[in-house]
Amino acid sequence: MVQLVGSLRKEVAESLSTCRVLVVGAGGIGCELLKNLVLTGFKNIEVIDLDIIDVSNLNRQFLFQKKHVGKSKAQVAKESVLQFCPTANITAYHDSIMNPDYNVEFFRNFMLVMNALDNRAARNHVNRMCLAADIPLIESGTAGYLGQVTVIKKGLTECYECQPKPTQKTFPGCTIRNTPSEPIHCIVWAKYLFNQLFGEEDADQEVSPDTADPEASWNPAETEARAMASETDGDIKRVSTKEWARSTGYDPAKLFNKLFKDDIMYLLTMDKLWKKRKAPLPLDWHQLESQGSRRPQGEVKAVGLKDQQVLGVWGYCQLFQHSIETLRSELQEKGDGAELVWDKDDAPALDFVTAAANLRMHIFSMTMKSRFDIKSMAGNIIPAIATTNAIIAGLIVMEGLKVVSGELESCRTIFLNKHPNLRKKLLVPCILDPPCANCYVCASRPEVTVKLNVLKTTVLALQDRILKERFGMVAPDVNIEDGKGTILISSEEGETDANNGKFLSDFGIRNGSRLQSDDFLQDYTLLINVLHAEDLEKDVEFEVVGDAPDKAPPPPSNQEDASSIANGNKDSAQPSTSNVHHPGPFSRLIFAPILIGTPYVLKLSIASMDIGAQLCGHLQVDCWGFRSNPMLPV
Amino acid sequence: MAATKASKEQKYDRQLRLWGDHGQEVLENAHVCLINATASGTEILKNLVLPGIGAFTIIDGHTVLGEDVGNNFFLSQNSIGRNRAQAATELLQELNSDVSGNFVEESADQLLDNDPEFFHRFSIVIGVQLSESTRLRLGSVLWAVGVPFLVCWTYGLMGYMRLVVKEHTVIESHPDNALEDLRLDRPFSELTDHIQSYQLESMEKKDHSHTPWIVIIAKFLETWLTEHDGQPPKNYKEKEAFRQMIREGILKKENGVREDEENFEEAVKNVNTALNPTKVPSSVEDLFNSEQCTNITSQSAAFWVMLRAVKEFVLHEGKGCLPARGTIPDMISDSQRFINLQNVYRDKALQDAAAVAKHVESLLQTTGKVLGKNAAFLRVVHCRSLAEEYAVESVNKDEITSCMDSPDSEMVLYLMLRSVDRFYQQHSRYPGVYNYQVEEDISKLKLCVTSLLQEYNLNVSIKDDYIHEFCRYGAAEPHTVAAFLGGAAAQEVIKMVSHQFVPFNNTFIYNAMSQTSATYQL
Repeated sequence: MVQLVGSLRKEVAESLSTCRVLVVGAGGIGCELLKNLVLTGFKNIEVIDLDIIDVSNLNRQFLFQKKHVGKSKAQVAKESVLQFCPTANITAYHDSIMNPDYNVEFFRNFMLVMNALDNRAARNHVNRMCLAADIPLIESGTAGYLGQVTVIKKGLTECYECQPKPTQKTFPGCTIRNTPSEPIHCIVWAKYLFNQLFGEEDADQEVSPDTADPEASWNPAETEARAMASETDGDIKRVSTKEWARSTGYDPAKLFNKLFKDDIMYLLTMDKLWKKRKAPLPLDWHQLESQGSRRPQGEVKAVGLKDQQVLGVWGYCQLFQHSIETLRSELQEKGDGAELVWDKDDAPALDFVTAAANLRMHIFSMTMKSRFDIKSMAGNIIPAIATTNAIIAGLIVMEGLKVVSGELESCRTIFLNKHPNLRKKLLVPCILDPPCANCYVCASRPEVTVKLNVLKTTVLALQDRILKERFGMVAPDVNIEDGKGTILISSEEGETDANNGKFLSDFGIRNGSRLQSDDFLQDYTLLINVLHAEDLEKDVEFEVVGDAPDKAPPPPSNQEDASSIANGNKDSAQPSTSNVHHPGPFSRLIFAPILIGTPYVLKLSIASMDIGAQLCGHLQVDCWGFRSNPMLPV
Repeated sequence: MAATKASKEQKYDRQLRLWGDHGQEVLENAHVCLINATASGTEILKNLVLPGIGAFTIIDGHTVLGEDVGNNFFLSQNSIGRNRAQAATELLQELNSDVSGNFVEESADQLLDNDPEFFHRFSIVIGVQLSESTRLRLGSVLWAVGVPFLVCWTYGLMGYMRLVVKEHTVIESHPDNALEDLRLDRPFSELTDHIQSYQLESMEKKDHSHTPWIVIIAKFLETWLTEHDGQPPKNYKEKEAFRQMIREGILKKENGVREDEENFEEAVKNVNTALNPTKVPSSVEDLFNSEQCTNITSQSAAFWVMLRAVKEFVLHEGKGCLPARGTIPDMISDSQRFINLQNVYRDKALQDAAAVAKHVESLLQTTGKVLGKNAAFLRVVHCRSLAEEYAVESVNKDEITSCMDSPDSEMVLYLMLRSVDRFYQQHSRYPGVYNYQVEEDISKLKLCVTSLLQEYNLNVSIKDDYIHEFCRYGAAEPHTVAAFLGGAAAQEVIKMVSHQFVPFNNTFIYNAMSQTSATYQL
């Protein structure tokens, strides 16, 4: 400690030992951060993390060891740090920061909050809590070699939500169910299938052929005939997939033939779909079995890691069989009504998706993928290494020291480049931008305009898709500004359940209506102006007016991006984040990680792993006008 | 064995996605040496042990003191009084049982006196908080045998790194802004055939507006070439005319207005990219002509053998072109035709890689494949030696004086660090280590600054503030600065060991107060 006093002002060193700080997340950055904080002299630290330790954390989350796998991250992190620094006063919570126990009062206990999170929902939430409690927040993120740190203070800087973030990529239902054209479509289908069979059934995750496909344009008589045919066909009855699977005793061969033979043959009858496309080729279990057992499995080349090999069709049939058997017994052990949750790090769950996705890819004439690649795509995996986290955590604490010593004006947003840029800078610090005047979160009276169809949007969709998913509320209360204050949604459980299935128009909501939505926990009120529209594109439920996250950013100039950066460290000459163009899609990295449908990241980094551009996705425009996110790296 | 491989795959999953299993393999075969297990030293090692470096050896003659424990996560109260190399090795080893940890209870100077060859065995040597004399001695030993040497130093609120390596070869430089390798100016026969299969004139509207722009340009280029004696559009005027030609190709509605065909817009935008002539980059050309490539002997490193194979390919099968990269950019297209086009390029790349592998036949076939695809991205990094940097006759005066035009450039920190070296030489201690010394050391350090500038005949001025600041630092190693440097240095070590990505050349400075950094060639 003698050494520290040397480089820190005495008052700062003293305030470190008395101030109380909160670390949200005990993962890659969190572990580094906890270590840096105690060794810099912070004494009172609280850490919260919902997660338990997984093997794949061990390559960077150094507070955990193999023996800790399955235990609470927050708790083990605390114990490991105490072992090295017994004098620190650490409180650990194995819990979600979104739990209402952690209210504004809780946040007010701290002098500083530091996020070390991996998802946008929690980042949005902590952002709001810190705004409500008026506590400074340091936000950070890493993806591969890239990283970013920024400081958020109410009224002084942009908040986390001041700039619109790209939305996560979704696919139209009919592409998934009827006409997959890229591996990712088959992977999404396989994940849906997992939930339909073993997990929580979700009506939005249908896997069977979609007869309402507009492209197939059925005539009604035909549809009915087909429906009749399937009724009498025995196995293809339209009962719940799960019930049906259970009734067969999760018989792999029966499941296989329904999914990969009967359903495909059914799709083939929708002949309009295949006029311009290559038609799928159904597979038959028994036929494959007799071929497969005759042919020895020596054809797989034993090169490279096992996970990176692509098995043959029969190999995936066997994997399909084995994974179903394992998952079935897991389900049985859990007892009646139990459900499994898909997790990329759970071997049988990943095996199942690998097998089912590959079989479907084969049926639709796509090149099959290794388990390793499937895991990337299915798990939205963002590559992560120790070194980047170490650098970022080092930067966070330097910013933290400035906050604690009351020097908020000298705080910066810092971008970490993959290697020194053309101006030879590995780090690019930028002055913090002031709050955005019309931010829908930190403005004094937040207000947005949402374009939707009041005749087709249900109250439940308003609550789940718009208020929770899009606007990050946890438990919204909504009333209509109709002079009577009609309550549309109540956060009290059960109070307004009867409204859920009704349409907004049933409550007199029409073009120009205003809805007031409150989140008590977040101390946040949002006024929503309804713009009725009947011309929304298919599969688009609503649009937020004036925010276009899917628009490509202006192309970075060919000249070095930071031409406006002053060479030295003259603060006044540093650019603000809004006029710096960063290379690639990461210009606002911490805002981006969950959008990166990982393959895009991989494309940059793994030249030799032969994850072809096919996997990396091209800008595809097909009949539904769907475009993949255009923020691709060059 | 299979089981351990699977568990490694799981543990290293997130990083395999960055450097691949071949990157991981070289990492697991590397042996790094760390001199001095200070906070910066153990932070660097931590970041190498976690991703699974093969082995490390710590060299440190110090006994652990209380102040060591205060800023170093890998020393505990129980370590006090023990040898620092041993104590740190034990705790670092706990992080990863796949890694072999070793230690030597001697100082680097003792080893240099008794057994300088000891250092030859390492993949890279990392020297932390070394005095100038040790740095120079070790630097010359390692330089002579070609072992890379990474010097790291955390000094108060600054971090310093210097890479010293005579020659470092990079196969996968992973450039950010590589030009596409489309070969439209020199189409290979499979590409020509594929392009032939498209008939823009007879396409239906939907197909027309989803034809990949590469095909569009290739088609119009064909027409252009016949109209212009086989000469492609070269200057701005010609390219503009060519763009106009493409625009004319957009379908028209009945009223004569052009349809909205985004793929044609893309084609127009990409004219420059597409017409970029296919040639061997000059950086690679230089490598081809280098001594090591022309004279292959039994001593030649694999890199040069493979490079020679690529050169042979260019001279023969390639007819002047590097092996094809086999990738095409994202573009508007329907999936089927995109994939078909992509396969044409991919097959060509596989075919070329096989040809390169043939040239290396007896040597490393699999690596030949990696090299073939990355042929345009080959790099060799040459650093200057420490002796060159420090000698009055070869000091990089221009770089220093031009940077010092702005008095707060990170360069001033470098000059301060060199002055601190001088202070240590004269007083056998660093300035301001004890509070009572700070005042008197300020003037002493100022003298060192002046003599440094005089010796190198540098006409620059250093603000007194920096001299005060460096005395106040008292050679402290604050943990958070050490943590930053630990991440940055370990990343460079991984680059060096894996021969992927281009390492910095040759000096890196981090200013923790302003959160800025710079790299200099000194």
